[in-house]
Amino acid sequence: MGKNVLLVDDSKTMRIIIGRSLRQAGLDFDNIFEAADGLEALEVLEKEHVDIVLSDINMPNMDGISFLREKSTRDAIKDIPVLMISTETGDDIIGEAKSLGAVGAIKKPFTPDKVNEVLGPLL
Amino acid sequence: MEIQEKMIESTKEIFSSMVMMDISVKQIMTNHGVLNDTITGMIGLAGTHKGVLAVHIPYDVAMAITGSFLMMDVTEINDDVHDAIGEVANMLGGNVKTILSEKGRDIDLSLPSTIAGAEYSFSSDKEVDKVIIEFDTGKGCFLVEMDLEK
Repeated sequence: MGKNVLLVDDSKTMRIIIGRSLRQAGLDFDNIFEAADGLEALEVLEKEHVDIVLSDINMPNMDGISFLREKSTRDAIKDIPVLMISTETGDDIIGEAKSLGAVGAIKKPFTPDKVNEVLGPLL
Repeated sequence: MEIQEKMIESTKEIFSSMVMMDISVKQIMTNHGVLNDTITGMIGLAGTHKGVLAVHIPYDVAMAITGSFLMMDVTEINDDVHDAIGEVANMLGGNVKTILSEKGRDIDLSLPSTIAGAEYSFSSDKEVDKVIIEFDTGKGCFLVEMDLEK
């Protein structure tokens, strides 16, 4: 079975660019699901088979840190890996994200090569 | 000024890696006056440094930037343009936060927002240190402005 990815970002533009970067990086997914915030992401994870999540941090309704915290309490989805893609890459906030289960971080702006370098080994 | 140089570097990096446009600095300004047929993307900073980071982009340049961002023709100022310009401001705000912050927790960023109009002013009520940089995209110019409370 192929892999599925969930892109979580309140910017539609950014979701399109991340999806394009995955293809340019040669990372082929069977399905690319999208969510505009943490709440929508939780709904998708409860319904769909997702292998990895790429999530922004600074979002309305439920931000990336709150999403990680809530996800960690739900047995059915808590082990799905989450990679942060954000302008927020300070040591403290990324440290908090990692303590809540994030497996790494990519700073915006990014290149397809950078996406491949960080995401490739996780697949 | 170090922060000015880093803003230039950050803006060029965003445009070369994400927007697929090579840009150059046209001039450093102290004031930009009234904005006409322009969209502004902005993000607020709060904490050890308080202020706003804004990009002011004339409509035709904003459509060219959005078209390059999304790899499609854009012929009107629509939701895609607002979203794309808001995201440019968001990425610039994140970079400015990295420049100004020690570890990232001493400055908070707002969510990005955009305004657009035929004629408007953009100014701060507070006394601020202002950095305004005009960039040339080859398809027109735009401004990056940072106002930090003194």
